[in-house]
Parts: sequence; structure tokens; C-alpha cells
Amino acid sequence: MKCKRCRRAEAAVDLPSHHAAFCPDCFFLFFRRQVTEGIRKLRLLSPRDRVLVCVSGGKDSLVLWDVLIDEGYETEGLYIDLGIDGYSDRSKEKVLAYAASRGKTPIVVELAKEGIPIPEAARCVRMQECAICGTVKRYFFNRVAAEGKFTVVATGHNLDDETARLLGNLLHWQHGHLARQHPLLPGSDEGLVRKVKPLWRVSEVETAAYGFLKGIDYVTEECPMSEEATSLVYKEALSRIEDRMPGTRIVFYKGFLDPSNPLRKGAQPPESADDDSTPAGGAPYADAMNVEEAGAPGGAARACASCGAPTYTETCSFCRLKERVRVARSQRAARVSR
Amino acid sequence: MYNASMITVRLPQKKKELEIPGPRRVMDLLADAGVRPTTVIVTRGKKLLTKDHRVEDGETIDVISVVSGG
Repeated sequence: MKCKRCRRAEAAVDLPSHHAAFCPDCFFLFFRRQVTEGIRKLRLLSPRDRVLVCVSGGKDSLVLWDVLIDEGYETEGLYIDLGIDGYSDRSKEKVLAYAASRGKTPIVVELAKEGIPIPEAARCVRMQECAICGTVKRYFFNRVAAEGKFTVVATGHNLDDETARLLGNLLHWQHGHLARQHPLLPGSDEGLVRKVKPLWRVSEVETAAYGFLKGIDYVTEECPMSEEATSLVYKEALSRIEDRMPGTRIVFYKGFLDPSNPLRKGAQPPESADDDSTPAGGAPYADAMNVEEAGAPGGAARACASCGAPTYTETCSFCRLKERVRVARSQRAARVSR
Repeated sequence: MYNASMITVRLPQKKKELEIPGPRRVMDLLADAGVRPTTVIVTRGKKLLTKDHRVEDGETIDVISVVSGG
């Protein structure tokens, strides 16, 4: 198969959803154009932004960082060490190696040192790891960005992630989450830093192909905590549809983002650091710990009494989680000593 | 085990390896392996293969899952 763009070189990537196939050089152009168009259309970034790129060691976040560096944005990487045996060490190695190859040193937050490694925290409070991980990561994304005077936080969520989330929100009629789901989550004067998802137009296959062809060494193993994640069920359903009807995903998501879509009518900018919820147990995308804040109807945000982060309650969901973990630990210690 | 009269299909994330008689197109090999094309990239060494690429006996390909959860 020949490249559909240059018509000379052998194609390396076929994209039925775009009725196209590209050689590596033409695919790089195509991919970067998809990302830059996604940024331009939704005004996600400006050339003056200081961008904090959240990197996990996986393909999407490293590819995002790569594209933003190549596009001339001022970026720093943030890696959060989740404290997952083996997996976190391997992920961190990939991030450090990639950063070094671009002359960068990422900011590293170690959850073990913060007293809240994900596996132990999940056991202590008997919650699904992904729900806790979402709360903790969102907290540190915002805190590191605010403290480091970054103007925007960028994550590697791609088209597959966003459509899986959309499907979950639709199936459970999460009206509040539907109104707020968007690649641009505005910041606020109360200390919430703007969040963007510049890869919203590209699929997982496209980011993986870009990473492979660019020689970016990313973690291919899946997070061991996410095997039961509900997002995987929605992704599987959507990939079955995409196999039969290429292009359905992007039509689905673009239609959702259309300002004339009634589901987006009256959409309020998210006003909580906890707003961009990820799946949780039996109530997808309605993290029980976030609901009261994410659903806060227009009340004024205030500083968390414990840490100062923006919140609608006395203490933010991260501090409440940390307190629950602390209490569970001391109860366990008391049982052991008896 | 290398087999010159078969195609070796490696699925590293599943820690699985299949031997399939060739020649076969990538899309047919994926169907044989029970893998949906929109969930993987297929590589041979440092080359990325399109779904209509013809793979010959004696060649080894890697099927890399691209689906991330959480």
C-alpha cells in the first residue's frame, strides 16, 4: 500500500477512520496537524502558556510532551509515582529516559513520601484504586501547577479515552458530568489551574503509532490496578463499533462537543479541582468522593481548611481521603498491638 | 521456538506466542489471533505494518495492545 499523501513511499500506518494511509514522514505531519488543529479549534493553548505536562510513562502522555516540545511550547513534565510495586519504577524509568533525551528533568511527586501510596490507600478505605488515583492525581496536578506558576495543565487523554468517558456518562445519564466534559476545563481565581487535553482528536492507535515511529520508549504494560476499570468495558464496546464503522468515534465526540448539542446547553465551566472525574466502582464517572464538589451548583469556592486547595467544602476531597487513610492505619495499628 | 515454515505472532502483553502458517495478511493474522485491529499496532523489528501487509513464513511480528485503562 502506498502513502496516500506523497504517493511514493510505502505506507506504515493505515487509518480507515480517515480513509487514509501514510508513510512515516507524512504520518508525522498528519498527526501533528491533528493535535495543533485540536488546540487551535478549542483554543486550548496560547504560545505564551507555561504548560505542565502530566506524564505517566505511557504512550499518550509522552507523545503529548513530544509534540508540545516540537511545537515550541514552554513545557515541564510532572510524574506522579503512585507507589505501585514494580510498575511505578518501570514507568518512572521511561519518563526519566525520555525527559533526558529532550534535555529535561521532570518534577517528581512520590505518593509514598506524601503518605498516600495508591495500593495501600485503596486497601485502607476499601475503594477502587482508579477512583483514589484520580482524586490524588488531580490534586497534585493542580497543586504543582499553582505552586510552579504554570498557566495550564495538559494531560494525554485521547479520543478513545474521551469517547469511553462520554459513553459511560450517557449510559448512566450523568447530566452534570456531561455538561462539564470537555477538552478544556477553565481555571478560576480561587486557585484552580486551567486543564487541557490536546490529544482529543487522535486515537490510541494513532498515538501508539506516532510513539513507535518516533522511537519513544514508553511503558506498554497496563497498570495492574486498572484491570477491572469500567472505562475498558466502554472502550471495548466502542472499538467493536469502530471496527465495523470506521470514523464513528470522532463523529460521536465532535457531535457531543458541538455547542448546539442540547446536552452541552447551559454547560458551566467546572469550578472544582475535583471535577474531571474518572471511573469509580459501580457508579462510573461519579466518584463518590467528588460528587458533592463536582455537583456544587454555583456556590463560591473557598480554600481547603487543611491544605488551601480550592474546594466547596470545609476540607478538600484529597485531605478527607488522606484523613480516612490515617484513621484506618491507626485503627489497624491498634488492632495489631492488642 | 523459531519455526521457518510458520509465521510467529507474538503478543507480549498477553505473554502469548502463536505459530500460524503463511503467507497471511496482517488483518488475517489478527483475526486468527482473536485481536481487533483498532486495539493494536503491529510491528516487525523497527517497522510498523499496515493491516494489508503480507507476512511470509519464517517472519516474526509483534502485536502491541494500545488500550490503556483507568
